[in-house]
Amino acid sequence: MQIAIRHKLSLALGQGIARSVQHVLLTPLTGPTQTVREWSIDMPGIGKAASFIDAFGNRAHLVSQTRPEGELTISVAGIVDTIDRNGVVGRVPGDIPPALYRRPTALTKAAGSITSKFRSTPKTGQDRIALLHGLMARVAEVVGGGEQSQSQDGQSQSQAQAAKPPAADYAHAFIGAARALDIPARYVTGYLYAEGDEPAALHAWAEAWDGGLGWIGFDPLLLLCPTDRHVRVAVGLDAVTTMPVRSIPVVGEPQVLSMSVEAAQ
Amino acid sequence: MSATPFDEMHNADGSIREPYLILEDWLKGQPPQALSYMSADAESLFRRLGITFAVYGSNEGTEKLIPFDIIPRIISALEWRKLSRGIEQRVRALNAFLYDIYHRQEILKAGRVPEKLILNNSAFCPQMMGLDPARGIYSHIIGTDIVRTGPDDFYVLEDNLRTPSGVSYMLENREAMLQLAPELFQRYKVAPVETYPETLRRTMESVAPGGIHGSPNLVVLTPGIHNSAYFEHSFLADQMGAMLCEGQDLFVENGKVYMRTTTGPERVDVIYRRIDDDFLDPLTFRPDSMLGVPGLFDAYRAGNVTLVNAPGTGIADDKAVYVYVPEIIEFYLGEKALLKNVPTYNCTNDDERAYVLEHLGELVVKEVHGSGGYGMLVGPASTKAQREEFKRRILARPDNYIVQPTLALSTCPTFVEKGIAPRHVDLRPYVLVGDDVRITPGGLTRVALKRGSLVVNSSQGGGTKDTWVLED
Amino acid sequence: MLGRTAQNLFWLSRYIERAENMARMFEVGYRMSLTSRREGSASEHLHSMMQAAEVDEGFHLKHKQADVGSVADYMIFDEENPSSVKSCLLAARTNARSVRTALTTEMWESINAAWLEFAAIRPRDVNGARLQELLFWIKQVSHRYRGALLSTFLRDEGYAFSQIGNFVERADNTARILDMKYYVLLPRATMVGGDVDIAQWTMILRAASAHRSYRHVYHDRYKAWNIADYLILRPEMPRSLIFCVDWINRTVDMLEDIYGTRTKGHDAVDAVAELLEGTSVDRIFESGLHDFLTEFIDRNNRITDALAESYNFY
Repeated sequence: MQIAIRHKLSLALGQGIARSVQHVLLTPLTGPTQTVREWSIDMPGIGKAASFIDAFGNRAHLVSQTRPEGELTISVAGIVDTIDRNGVVGRVPGDIPPALYRRPTALTKAAGSITSKFRSTPKTGQDRIALLHGLMARVAEVVGGGEQSQSQDGQSQSQAQAAKPPAADYAHAFIGAARALDIPARYVTGYLYAEGDEPAALHAWAEAWDGGLGWIGFDPLLLLCPTDRHVRVAVGLDAVTTMPVRSIPVVGEPQVLSMSVEAAQ
Repeated sequence: MSATPFDEMHNADGSIREPYLILEDWLKGQPPQALSYMSADAESLFRRLGITFAVYGSNEGTEKLIPFDIIPRIISALEWRKLSRGIEQRVRALNAFLYDIYHRQEILKAGRVPEKLILNNSAFCPQMMGLDPARGIYSHIIGTDIVRTGPDDFYVLEDNLRTPSGVSYMLENREAMLQLAPELFQRYKVAPVETYPETLRRTMESVAPGGIHGSPNLVVLTPGIHNSAYFEHSFLADQMGAMLCEGQDLFVENGKVYMRTTTGPERVDVIYRRIDDDFLDPLTFRPDSMLGVPGLFDAYRAGNVTLVNAPGTGIADDKAVYVYVPEIIEFYLGEKALLKNVPTYNCTNDDERAYVLEHLGELVVKEVHGSGGYGMLVGPASTKAQREEFKRRILARPDNYIVQPTLALSTCPTFVEKGIAPRHVDLRPYVLVGDDVRITPGGLTRVALKRGSLVVNSSQGGGTKDTWVLED
Repeated sequence: MLGRTAQNLFWLSRYIERAENMARMFEVGYRMSLTSRREGSASEHLHSMMQAAEVDEGFHLKHKQADVGSVADYMIFDEENPSSVKSCLLAARTNARSVRTALTTEMWESINAAWLEFAAIRPRDVNGARLQELLFWIKQVSHRYRGALLSTFLRDEGYAFSQIGNFVERADNTARILDMKYYVLLPRATMVGGDVDIAQWTMILRAASAHRSYRHVYHDRYKAWNIADYLILRPEMPRSLIFCVDWINRTVDMLEDIYGTRTKGHDAVDAVAELLEGTSVDRIFESGLHDFLTEFIDRNNRITDALAESYNFY
């Protein structure tokens, strides 16, 4: 399917600063599940930015501005052809060794309530795929609150029910559990071609390693393996290493001004 | 553990070992009081040379001079050749190891070093994956800690591949000895250490990024005047003619690093950074760091600047990785390690832990991430309460400690209150790796001034000596 | 040279000069309080001296009564007073540590030794003769540093920034001493000063270390017109405004030679020099001494900001 993406976000830098720098991870690469037809990032300083491949194989930009405005606007636009491969990304030449994705991080702590069920489940050969699907379902259940889950920031029950936790929480829970079971798993950011009245948003899911198939995507929020509706942008250990825009200085979170992810004309 | 430690000056029968013959003769010729006067001269000399600066680091001027012992430690040409070959082998293998674990990780795939020990280690820096540093070198500036227990027995205690300090003392100690005992230098052929700053400069230039016109711009990046090693940072910058910068003096623009000069931005090519990995760049590492330069790591990643040493070198001198160094040497160089490792007990192994807990009184316990002689138990010098305390700590976190037998560190004659007496010493030679591996003949000898003490750290009553490597 | 290094050198010199000025100002107040005969006038003298030194407000936040002990404590030893001798010496040493590699050994040692010696002094041991001795020593510190600078420092940009810092501070100090007492210098119907006038004039001259050299230049008794002339327009007087501005001017010219360009810093210096060029005491009195001094202090201050902008201090 051909997907057209337009994404505009703003970043508050604060007034009267001398310089700012950003690490921008907003460039999808062509791979087994997608071909990037067109892509552009527009923001102050992008013309002279350093462009390089980061530790996890992503295309990164180091952008800087001298005496920037207090607010920075970043516009991303492009067209990507996607293929539904049942979530199988496979092996990409130059990928870093999968074993690295067993490394625990602060954001990917395993929850006992998720892993306990799978401690003694076989995890080699075909069993591994089954286990990962089981894990995805369990994550959706626990994080989604289908089962009574602890709200971490002490939100009231009604609030917690009203707003579904963000995709990052599902992805982190899945990754933490997989790693606890000794299965390499990584965090993926990307765009999702939305169906129905879902608002377009930056999305996040996980990929787990299988010795036979390579990397396989799991989207525990949607409870499915990524399809041709998913456009992969960046991978990493967790949400921190894949953050679309990191900036110094920065005041507050980046705000999405507008986003559209649509079937291309 | 032998009953009497090896004395570097005297043979067991009391005769003088060859390298020390001239020194013995010179010492005998000194009138009474001469050594005391020299000692006092040395102190005022250090103040004049500038060491006072490091010493009076605090604003109140309360810190003390690191004591300097006027009797040099002497190493024969033959001993040095053996030692330096072993050190060179180690640093080559460890750099190859760093390249491998930040690329294809063959050594882990081969199962020669446990995968988790490396990949889950906090000293491993995932952001370094796939990065190709100039000439494939990660650790350019190394200080290998060596102890000696016999005529031919040298052990490596620690590899220090991050930002080893103390080299300014090696240089200042030599300067002091040249002024205090010039006549000894006429009788001995002592290999020079004064070339170190120039060699450091050459080393840094040899790893500059490509595409630079003229000679590369070098800087020393310091955390600032409140850092305990600030004196050394400014000393080295001064000696090799590099700019001494703090984080605020540098900035990244369009992917390149610049310093703010009186005439505007000036491009920086190679940074000898004395700031720890975590604080180097708030954009990539700790966001709360005020010491670093935002964007520095990405500029490095983009190939526009060289960091000396590279981030993530700490994984190769991690105390838990230390036991695998002989394995690492064999894997990459196909050679047996020339220098010995100190046998090390692994407390996560039940049998070894049981042995350790039984024999704490004979062993040395070190925290895996500790340094400076803190978080350490020296069994033979410990009290029962201290041993009980460490027993508790080891049981609580067995992976946080490594345990080694107490080595009988060699002794050197040292001038103390009651005259000349043997005191335990260690040795830190300094290695520079760039277009070649260069080991400065000499190094920093640290001496435990307290009788019988094995702790040489300056923070715990240690002093230093000039270290002479003799030429043939 | 790093912009920060230039800045550190500039302020290092300013702080050393300021430490000396504080010691001298205190000495004046102290002397006058010793020689005053009237009840309560000792405190008044100290107070008016503190006004001239611009430390009176801070002083009164901490102390009720101005006597020699409390004023000495505040002006010499109090770390909370940013202009105290102690604060100045500490700031000078901190700046020196930051630019250790840019200083000569002699310059560094003079500052380091001064700070270590000063830090070892216990304020309560300092009184009477020892207080006088300490004031003398503080002035010596400044002279030792300047001596080391003048005889060992490379005549490059670092020297230039040091010199400018020194003379900007000195010009500011002299202008403030004059401004605080400008009314006793104004021409009056009677040209002969009374006792009060003489006491004030003496104070002005002493505060500028000019009471002895005045005689050499004027061979006359103290006269208001001469004093203004001496401290503003006499080029041979090393604390006069014109002397300071002349040094600053020559030094920024040196920067122009080194860097090959003129900057806002040069314009700022020109603006100060303009005030003094071709003028006379009569003309200054005519258009108002106080206005003149206010304008001078203001323009002199702008040199620091202009240099910071032109040479990347931060």
